[in-house]
Amino acid sequence: MPKDHGIGASPKRREDLRFLTGTGNYTDDINLYGQLYVHFLRSDVAHGRLNKVDTSDAAGMPGVVRIFTGDDFAGVGGLPCGWQVTDKHGQPMQEPGHPVLAQGKVRHVGDPIAAVVAESYEQARDAAEAIVLDIEELPAVIDMKAALKDGAPKVHDDLTSNLCYDWGFVEENKAATDAAFKTAAHVTTLELVNNRLVANPMEPRVAVGDYNRSTDESTLYTTSQNPHVIRLLMGAFVLGIPEHKLRVVAPDVGGGFGTKIFHYAEEAFCTFAARQLKRPVKWTSTRSEAFMSDAHGRDHVTKIELALDKDNNFVALRTETYANMGAYLSTFAPSVPTWLHGTLMAGNYRTPLIYVNVKAVFTNTVPVDAYRGAGRPEATYQLERVIDKAARELGVDPIKLRRQNFITQFPYATPVAVEYDTGNYVATMDKLEEIADLSGFEARRKASEAKGKLRGLGVNCYIEACGIAPSNLVGQLGARAGLYESATVRVNATGSISVMTGSHSHGQGHETAFPQVIAEMLGIDESMIEIVHGDTAKGPMGMGTYGSRSLAVGGSAMVRATEKIINKAKKIAAHLMEASDADIEVKDGKFHVAGTDKSVAWGDVTLAAYV
Amino acid sequence: MAQVSMTVNGKAASGDVEGRTLLVQFLRENLHLTGTHVGCDTSQCGACVVHVNGQAVKACTMLAAEAEGAEIRTIEGMANADGSLNTVQQAFQDHHGLQCGFCTPGMVMSASALLAENPNPTEAEIRAYLEGNICRCTGYHNIVKAIMAAAGQDVSKIAAE
Repeated sequence: MPKDHGIGASPKRREDLRFLTGTGNYTDDINLYGQLYVHFLRSDVAHGRLNKVDTSDAAGMPGVVRIFTGDDFAGVGGLPCGWQVTDKHGQPMQEPGHPVLAQGKVRHVGDPIAAVVAESYEQARDAAEAIVLDIEELPAVIDMKAALKDGAPKVHDDLTSNLCYDWGFVEENKAATDAAFKTAAHVTTLELVNNRLVANPMEPRVAVGDYNRSTDESTLYTTSQNPHVIRLLMGAFVLGIPEHKLRVVAPDVGGGFGTKIFHYAEEAFCTFAARQLKRPVKWTSTRSEAFMSDAHGRDHVTKIELALDKDNNFVALRTETYANMGAYLSTFAPSVPTWLHGTLMAGNYRTPLIYVNVKAVFTNTVPVDAYRGAGRPEATYQLERVIDKAARELGVDPIKLRRQNFITQFPYATPVAVEYDTGNYVATMDKLEEIADLSGFEARRKASEAKGKLRGLGVNCYIEACGIAPSNLVGQLGARAGLYESATVRVNATGSISVMTGSHSHGQGHETAFPQVIAEMLGIDESMIEIVHGDTAKGPMGMGTYGSRSLAVGGSAMVRATEKIINKAKKIAAHLMEASDADIEVKDGKFHVAGTDKSVAWGDVTLAAYV
Repeated sequence: MAQVSMTVNGKAASGDVEGRTLLVQFLRENLHLTGTHVGCDTSQCGACVVHVNGQAVKACTMLAAEAEGAEIRTIEGMANADGSLNTVQQAFQDHHGLQCGFCTPGMVMSASALLAENPNPTEAEIRAYLEGNICRCTGYHNIVKAIMAAAGQDVSKIAAE
């Protein structure tokens, strides 16, 4: 019998009521009094020298309030990168500037050159067509290996090359790994592409900047998975606005898929322009703009080699990956092919020596950053494919080859810095064979062939590192943020609860699921608990939602805060019942004195706490 | 600027629009009916589907002026008179047919138009009818299941996806 309450129950989602009736509050639904609209004129060449941006005709067009170019941002910071990778020589990565509007050069199709602010969106678009651009088109680098050749056009003239970093993981393993390959009985080599893609959440990105002259406060409404991170990055690194004068609100967000983690130029622009013009400024991306300005995903080219001994045991694994960063470093881009990728290369297998080499490359393409799984699916795809190829080359069953090399002793320290505390891969493979009816496959294949069709069978194992949280390893591997999560659990006088969480919901259903956790701990009805998120003015500093971390990390913070509430409430209950707080037990929304029939209700305790 | 008049969710509505003003702009900006969403502005995603004289129409691909005199229904006009969810809306909630909610208004409007035309569609007919509605979160299975349930079909044997 399923539970009807707390953890394990299946309540209907409370957020659905507004989404199903058209009363959601997405960023594009926000319209402020006196609002202006911005249209970005974007580069239609991949690489070019920006000789002149002539806005004189456009500036006089109907409704135009002001046209901004890169010159207007000369004294303003660039978009920062939140992760610093150290290369195999111990040197920090090359980190180019990333201006809000292009300065001197355009580096990818979609790079914003000018921003037309007008009374209506149509007027802004009309005026953008009247801007005269003098762009000297330059040879572009798109292919990563070509970008690293001597004499290749440089994306950033002030960097020594197009190489962001050349990362070795673990560099100390390299010599032993190479040696193991020399003596291996068999080596399987595979080259493959993890193709670039565009995340495409259904809701395009939107930003609305607002400025309050009387208080000198800025507010940004934005389609973000992590409004506090945007406040920190934009306030501290781009615009120089302290947190107490800057509020970032991410209301209902129509899907993220990673690409709404990052801080974007359009957010900084709308906030900046609203301060300059003393009026709200709104930008709504078109779908075409999304393809040119949302950070893309993946785009790795890999050579992976697997060395086996004469008994088909894995003895060493070696990879060389080219990871496309695009034209600029997006917020977490350097972490994806490194920390989120190299640490996964052991997979489910006992491979004593692993060496991962990643060359991150600047090209004249849209920046690439975290997208669904971010680095981990890329790692798994390489590893599982090279195992399949090895099985074919050796004429052995791919499932047997996997089983033979499974890790069976835990805890297991991989050669790529992480320790697996527990697992049972043999049992999961047994279960998989059972539910897939593996033994019946041949009969199914024959039946398909009789109908003139082909039937195939593939098996894939996957180790996923998610619930991204603070750890020593994260710090060692370059995170510039602690990756913790926060929660404030506020109990109101009549017993209802407001939970302010740093996690953000953009489809995950936090408003329904999180109250189940707290209801379970207190034994009260979920309807008494409200989740508040997505507004830096309401909640504590938080790191946001990505990497499957909201319940694991954010939920843990809620549990810790609720434990504090329970401890405090026990003292009050003990006082009310003239008992010792050590004797108080919480059950079904009541505080009982153990071993007696004395109890006080949750609401009595909360009221006593206030009045 | 020209004046347009239409009936939206049973009420008379009018306003001044440019010739190029789209129906979805008129609904969202003039009438503040922001439940109708714009996901692609190219008539592909279906987040903007409304009913025009009973037909499902992508409001990003119709001029406001073309709707002169028309009877328009949007997601805001779909609930029961007492404000409770109607059959289709309730089925979406019951069968977890939505996550981020952005495509949902268009899905509900398309589903309702389908059921008006074909009260008892097969799974294949539902999938074919939803060709012009894209959802990025759900993988569609629960949307299809919700529409089958809204048609009164027994979906208890269909595995949760």
